[in-house]
Amino acid sequence: MSQPRPITEGSTAHRVYRYVPWAIFAFIAITAPFWAAHTPAFSIGESTLTFSLGNLNHAVAYMVGVLGLGILVGYNGQISLGNSFFMGVGGYVTATLVTDDGWSFLATLVVVLPVCFVIGMLIGLPALRIKGLYLALTTLGLAAVFPSIVRMEQLRDRTGGANGKRIESDLDAPGWVPIEPIGDFLSSIPLVGEWAYGEGVSGREADAVWVYLLLAALTAAAFWVARNLIYSRPGRSIIAIRDNETGAAVNGVNVPMTKTLTFGFSAMLGGLSGTMYAMAIGFVAPDVFGINLAIFLIVGLVVGGVGTLSGAIIGGIVIVFVPVWSAQIESVPGVPERFLRGPTGLFILGVLLIVLTFFLPGGIVYGMRKIRARFVQIVPDRQVAGDDVVVATGDATGGKMSRHGGKTALDVDDDPTLPDDDPHEEQAKRILDRDDGAESAPVSAPAQQTNQGETT
Amino acid sequence: MELFLARLFDGLSSGATYAVIAVALVLIYKATTLINFAQGELAMLGSFFAYILAIEQGIPLYLAIVLAMLLSAVLAAGIERVLIRPFDPADHLPLVIITLGLFLVINAVAGMIWGFDPRSFPRMFPEGDVWSMGIARLRWYTVGTMATVLVLLVLLTLLLKKTKIGLAFRAVSSNLESSGLVGVRAGPTLQFGWMLATAVGTLAGALFVADPFRQLDPTWAQRVLIFAAAAAVLGGLDSLWGALAGGIILGLVESMVVGYVDWIPNQMGLAAAVVAIIIVLVIRPNGLFGSKAVERV
Amino acid sequence: MTDATTSPAGSPASTGKPILQVSDVHAAYGMVRVLHGIDLEVRDGEVVVVLGANGAGKTTTMRAICGLVDTTGSIRLDGKEIVGKKSADVARLGVAHVPQGRGTFADLSVEDNLQVGAFVRKDKEIRSDIDRWYEVFPVLGERRQQQAGTLSGGEQQMLAVARALMGRPRLLLLDEPSLGLAPMIVQNVFRNLQSIREEFGTTMLVVEQNANLALGIADRGYVIEAGRIVLSGTADELSSDDAVRAAYLGY
Repeated sequence: MSQPRPITEGSTAHRVYRYVPWAIFAFIAITAPFWAAHTPAFSIGESTLTFSLGNLNHAVAYMVGVLGLGILVGYNGQISLGNSFFMGVGGYVTATLVTDDGWSFLATLVVVLPVCFVIGMLIGLPALRIKGLYLALTTLGLAAVFPSIVRMEQLRDRTGGANGKRIESDLDAPGWVPIEPIGDFLSSIPLVGEWAYGEGVSGREADAVWVYLLLAALTAAAFWVARNLIYSRPGRSIIAIRDNETGAAVNGVNVPMTKTLTFGFSAMLGGLSGTMYAMAIGFVAPDVFGINLAIFLIVGLVVGGVGTLSGAIIGGIVIVFVPVWSAQIESVPGVPERFLRGPTGLFILGVLLIVLTFFLPGGIVYGMRKIRARFVQIVPDRQVAGDDVVVATGDATGGKMSRHGGKTALDVDDDPTLPDDDPHEEQAKRILDRDDGAESAPVSAPAQQTNQGETT
Repeated sequence: MELFLARLFDGLSSGATYAVIAVALVLIYKATTLINFAQGELAMLGSFFAYILAIEQGIPLYLAIVLAMLLSAVLAAGIERVLIRPFDPADHLPLVIITLGLFLVINAVAGMIWGFDPRSFPRMFPEGDVWSMGIARLRWYTVGTMATVLVLLVLLTLLLKKTKIGLAFRAVSSNLESSGLVGVRAGPTLQFGWMLATAVGTLAGALFVADPFRQLDPTWAQRVLIFAAAAAVLGGLDSLWGALAGGIILGLVESMVVGYVDWIPNQMGLAAAVVAIIIVLVIRPNGLFGSKAVERV
Repeated sequence: MTDATTSPAGSPASTGKPILQVSDVHAAYGMVRVLHGIDLEVRDGEVVVVLGANGAGKTTTMRAICGLVDTTGSIRLDGKEIVGKKSADVARLGVAHVPQGRGTFADLSVEDNLQVGAFVRKDKEIRSDIDRWYEVFPVLGERRQQQAGTLSGGEQQMLAVARALMGRPRLLLLDEPSLGLAPMIVQNVFRNLQSIREEFGTTMLVVEQNANLALGIADRGYVIEAGRIVLSGTADELSSDDAVRAAYLGY
């Protein structure tokens, strides 16, 4: 295997390397609805898998739900399975305000976000005493309870009871947004335009594209806020609690406050995701927000990568499209057809959960970083970082879910204290290699005292 | 009076079934300090094994249940060996994820093989009542289930207290590192715990769906898991007899509260169970009968 | 400081064949290397003490022998390599370990603690062994049905020793038997160890910070510093070594 190519931090090459992928991602994210509006189909064997804009909108809504869970589980280390509850609250509050009170969708966020934040903090209070598995159990109970709450007879006028609630409002594309011209422009791109984007969009397709753009904007906002939170001083407190709660408390982190607020923030993103679900689907039902969704969110988190933010994008797509596509599979050689009519999506997601936990515990994002590290490595600018910095090895940092010792599942990257390909990791190793013979120093502790000058 | 007795018998009946699944959860917890989120699904699978053996293979019901218990125990041994043992027992997140994955897979496989149409499970106990007064009916099913639970608990207690494997089980449960230092192999002992718990779960599943008012389908355990977990937590997660007490208390509370307080809707039994879990864990984490705090620093 | 223990019984058992041979052992917790090539030897019937400051690697040496920590190098028990074996398998070969903090099965009864100590035995004499330990430590007999966690520190230490010896080990490892005990109790524990040695001839490897007491019952000793053996000799030699006296004996 060839040596990875070094790129100096801050150089032009580094900027290109850093921003070009984002530009490509942004282009794909903005043009995806124009492509998906025609429901492109792929044939695999006798089966036809479709990629519809409705499903795409659904996936975008779930991305925010996975993101909210990821901050609580992946960054704060509180194992919660209850975020589907908050998605349910968001979805139902939006549904009833829009349908029964004539609010606009986005206006309902004024209610949904604070309500979910407060409920989340209230749930977060017992979580100060309930930890680990017991928190997982309690929050799973919360997830299980939601459907029976909205089925209650007393709430029937608002929730529609067991039948669910159709939302009597259409999100029409406003005239000032040039959706149709953009569609026409995209399909006029030479060679690939018509193949990828068809004849452009109009009417209901344009409305769906508008919904997508709204959802995408909300998602972008949610990611922006989440990223700023994690990379800020409170974010470091959140992570410190995950890594070593006692240590964080000793170092002045207000642990109860931080944990409760994190729970609230996570719940708020859950509520936002629920509102977005209502916008995307236009229908809410009790069993949409039950135990299965709670577990699906975990699947999304694990598939994307526990302890990453960007993993939520992949996670949202996976938990929507895997069930959709597996329902479309008509035949698999060697598998009886009646099995394929069963809940194959559930099966595949379950298998994915187990297999990834074994073989790629950092999720797809970690896997991609590992592959990237084979080709390039970011080298810090020597003038800035000082002379004795040792180049990080090609092996991407973190991302190991422990099997008998080693790092925990939560030590994955996207971690502002340890940016990926970070020389600090190597320095930490060198500190550890000193012959101080410490009998039981916690493995992770020395990483915090990386100070360039005093390593050797 | 009649109404009270009716509620009482209802509560005992459902409480006993919650208790048996709670016992399965407690067994796993005692061995590994792990809550197995797939426990309910394993019980569901076991109840299908018993159904298939009894109805499609024509094996006498009681024998079919015993065979199903053995079969599910073998399956559990494999699951423990392949999916659980490679992970550090102190690191909860991967284990939670694995058992949630099992939850989805077992549920899906049952749905793929047997479909979601409800079936009626053969009766384990005679139809009819032992005693009745108006609407208050003490059914044979209720008495039979209670008796089965009691016999099961006595047998389990003897197994844990009087046998060598029971001693090993308790040693591993008490102090994993020290048990290694005296030569107890943790792996096989924990595997035994999984097998025992799953066999108990299968019995619980058969008891649950043998109620003439219930039917067998792949979703029944999802509704029961939270109740069983609440019963286990209420009794103290490491106490077998506590699980029985927790189950009965929960069953009674459910039937009394829902029966007597008009404005509380039927579905709120589940919410009551969740509230019970939260209150117990916050106020008295070792439950009513648990011997040690469930939270370990 | 008073010399509470009697002098070692008999002559140093340097003639016995080696039971434990540790050579060039390295060990690490994750990335933190703790042992940097430990060599030591324990012969049949000997009591060997390992001295060292906090964090020198004494406990890790014990844990390496028992397979509780990632280890490289060679550890031979009766000539048989045991590096890489799990702790349960090492125990089955006849190594009993009383870990630091005693490792009692706190929620098992005293009786069950002794029973589990004999877990690997298949003979019929377990019952009589238990009764014998109740004679040696009468307080354990009085509290046989009590949960072990309710015993006092000294009682738990005795229980831990008795439990370890229930397995009839070839080699007993004792990790800081004085830790956390009141001085009176410590002397009592060492008096008991001394009488166990005289009565049963048990081979022991003892890690101890209380060098006075430890050298009092030992035949030989090693001094460990920063993960390496820096000094070894008979108990008498170590007791009279100036550096040892300055660092560990305090006079």
